[in-house]
Amino acid sequence: MLGVFLVYTSIAGGTPQLAPSELNGRTGQVTIVGKVVAPVQRSGRTIRFRIKDVEGGSSVRLPVTYTGSVPDMFRAGRDISLKGRLRNGTFVGASGTLVTKCPSKYSSKKET
Amino acid sequence: MPELGRAALIVCLGLAVYAVVAGAAAALRRNRRLAESAENAVVASFATALVASLVLLVALVQNDFGLVYVADHTSRELPLGYTISAFWGGQEGSLLLWLLILTGFSAAAVLLARRSAPSLLAWTVPILGGVIVFFAFMLVAVSSPFATQAAPADGAGLNPSLQNPYMLAHPPMLYLGFVGLTIPFAFAMGALAARRSDELWIVVTRRWTLLAWTFLGFGQLLGAHWAYVEVGWGGYFAWDPVENAALMPWLAATAFLHSVMIQEKRGMLKIWNVLLVIGSFALALFGTFLTRSGIISSIHSFTESSIGPWFLGFIGLVLFASIALVLSRLPLLRSKTRLESPVSREATFLYNNLLLVAFCLTILWGVLYPILTEALHGEPVTVGPPYYNFFLKAFGLPLLLLMGIGPLIAWRRASLRGLGRIFAWPASVALATGVLLVLLGAGSSIPGLVGYTFCAFVLASIVLEFARGTRARHALGSSSWTGALASLVGRNRRRYGGYVVHASIVLLAIGVIGSSAYDTVAEQRLRPGDTMAIGGYDLRYRGLEERRGANAQELRAVVDVSRDGERIGTLEPGKNRYFAEQQVSNEAAIRSDRLNGEDLFLIADQIDADGTLFLKGLVKPLVNLIWIAGFVFLAGAAIALWPDAREQRRLALRYGRAEALARA
Repeated sequence: MLGVFLVYTSIAGGTPQLAPSELNGRTGQVTIVGKVVAPVQRSGRTIRFRIKDVEGGSSVRLPVTYTGSVPDMFRAGRDISLKGRLRNGTFVGASGTLVTKCPSKYSSKKET
Repeated sequence: MPELGRAALIVCLGLAVYAVVAGAAAALRRNRRLAESAENAVVASFATALVASLVLLVALVQNDFGLVYVADHTSRELPLGYTISAFWGGQEGSLLLWLLILTGFSAAAVLLARRSAPSLLAWTVPILGGVIVFFAFMLVAVSSPFATQAAPADGAGLNPSLQNPYMLAHPPMLYLGFVGLTIPFAFAMGALAARRSDELWIVVTRRWTLLAWTFLGFGQLLGAHWAYVEVGWGGYFAWDPVENAALMPWLAATAFLHSVMIQEKRGMLKIWNVLLVIGSFALALFGTFLTRSGIISSIHSFTESSIGPWFLGFIGLVLFASIALVLSRLPLLRSKTRLESPVSREATFLYNNLLLVAFCLTILWGVLYPILTEALHGEPVTVGPPYYNFFLKAFGLPLLLLMGIGPLIAWRRASLRGLGRIFAWPASVALATGVLLVLLGAGSSIPGLVGYTFCAFVLASIVLEFARGTRARHALGSSSWTGALASLVGRNRRRYGGYVVHASIVLLAIGVIGSSAYDTVAEQRLRPGDTMAIGGYDLRYRGLEERRGANAQELRAVVDVSRDGERIGTLEPGKNRYFAEQQVSNEAAIRSDRLNGEDLFLIADQIDADGTLFLKGLVKPLVNLIWIAGFVFLAGAAIALWPDAREQRRLALRYGRAEALARA
């Protein structure tokens, strides 16, 4: 039973989840998790911004571009996750995969 | 006032500790008076939890921002209904609600079982007490809802997406379900600890399991509807860990509800049933843990959360202690009979159980996968909807088919000829439906087509069961056909209530398949006056409207909807900007077609200052059957739950002797 899941997840499923400083030029599909750094530039449906690690003192500021629907909670300072891949040093997000994270689904307070 | 709340919780903890110690001592020494005193402590713990809950409720309603919890989850502008729902809007209040329901259910179960099965209570009471100790301890020492502060001028407000009527009912329903699963667990463990090998615990807890399962099922559907109308991304279920948290115990409990019938009728599957009841309870705890600990966002936030490690420790303790108990009582759990044939009703139930548990484990694996991979490789890997949807089809479609086979197939051993005779009619209906659907163009999705064919098969077999039973009753002399039907259902409430629930699952399947396998999506950038076509609808964007609501500034895009050149209405998707919380939320607009159950779903994805609208539209056929299924589900569950004097007499005869022996 467990074997089936293992095989399935190893072949078909699974996207690694990384912090901006852990990306290190990897170009495969990953989910990046980080904090949005101001300023956020908008042009039509495309937004451009940089993200940094949520924790730790890494100085990496990864440039990101994303086209598609943006969640209501999105703004500078929020923690987000975004699926996509690195192209020419810029992380290009896949449409519809931008998710804002809050500390708990049910509480709106205490943003760190 | 906060002092009163804190004191009530401390007394509650004390009573629960007493129930454990005195109850265990009484069970060991067979001291009836001490046992009764432990039972009374459980009942009294409900009174203290009620006092603590009332204190919090009053503080919420009076905007007593001196309480940290009240200030963090409400504001002066928040309407009264949502102020009350803030009770379960945060971690501390949710735990208090758990405790309130837990003590309430425990008290009711103890009082009821005192009359019907007093001997079963000996070890059940200390086990119930143990669970109460955990939650009372969490509220007293780890996560108190009564922490105080210097009162700020206004509170932080409630998360806008929680400001919805559904949030008044959905979380309490889920908690009623989660907590309700404690009762069958405690009685099963109590029976094992007392070395009882009979089925009395199943009989005593059948309605509790059914009730918890009904709440859990209906609560999830409410949550799905909330996600659909309020969160506004156009779906109702996203395999989010928080959603999975409620689905897993429901699946385990569904398996349990089916397999206990085999134990009652044939004395089989005893170990399996005990494991399922342990699993359901552990998954209910795990579900609370998942939604409350923050482990989902990261393994790191888990260690920072105050309650996470405690919960994990408690789940570990529950699993360890109950598995150890099962192992020490293995000889008691030996089956009286064996499976005679792989083609029989028992076997169908067994396959149904394996599929349900397999699906439950699939979800558990998916939820745990990021945590496991992070622990092993330092890099979490997540699995998304494709993983879950694959297994939903792989396990869900055979389950659907079994739902049509199970009720018709013979017990013990079914002959091939018998099978042919019984299934000729449902199978032909299914085949005809399949052909008709292909002609209508449903072949665009093969899983959808297979699913619908199975749905027709199940519905036909349910109708056949009702028709056969009613005809038999009518032949026995019922005056009218409706009278025959009523007496048929009335005399076999469990069975026919179960069939009604099956019918609701078919409706659910039809709705889910229609809205996921046959939906249409379109996105377009619109200037005022522009038009857009989607799935037979023509949309025309008229312009923006802005108005001031009670607690939010409301921006709406006015969109005219027409079909076949005829105007059929106006939809207003938009955004709300909440004053107190400083947050924006998406407000989707939905037009439901009453005739064919189809929805047109509009989302104002982005509204630019110059009036440009990025509009997303979805057409979801048959989606409304999902919500109708909820009411059919409730009706079926109510039929199965309804008190049945005849059943009580039969059980009293069967277990009266065992009860007398145990008391002697």
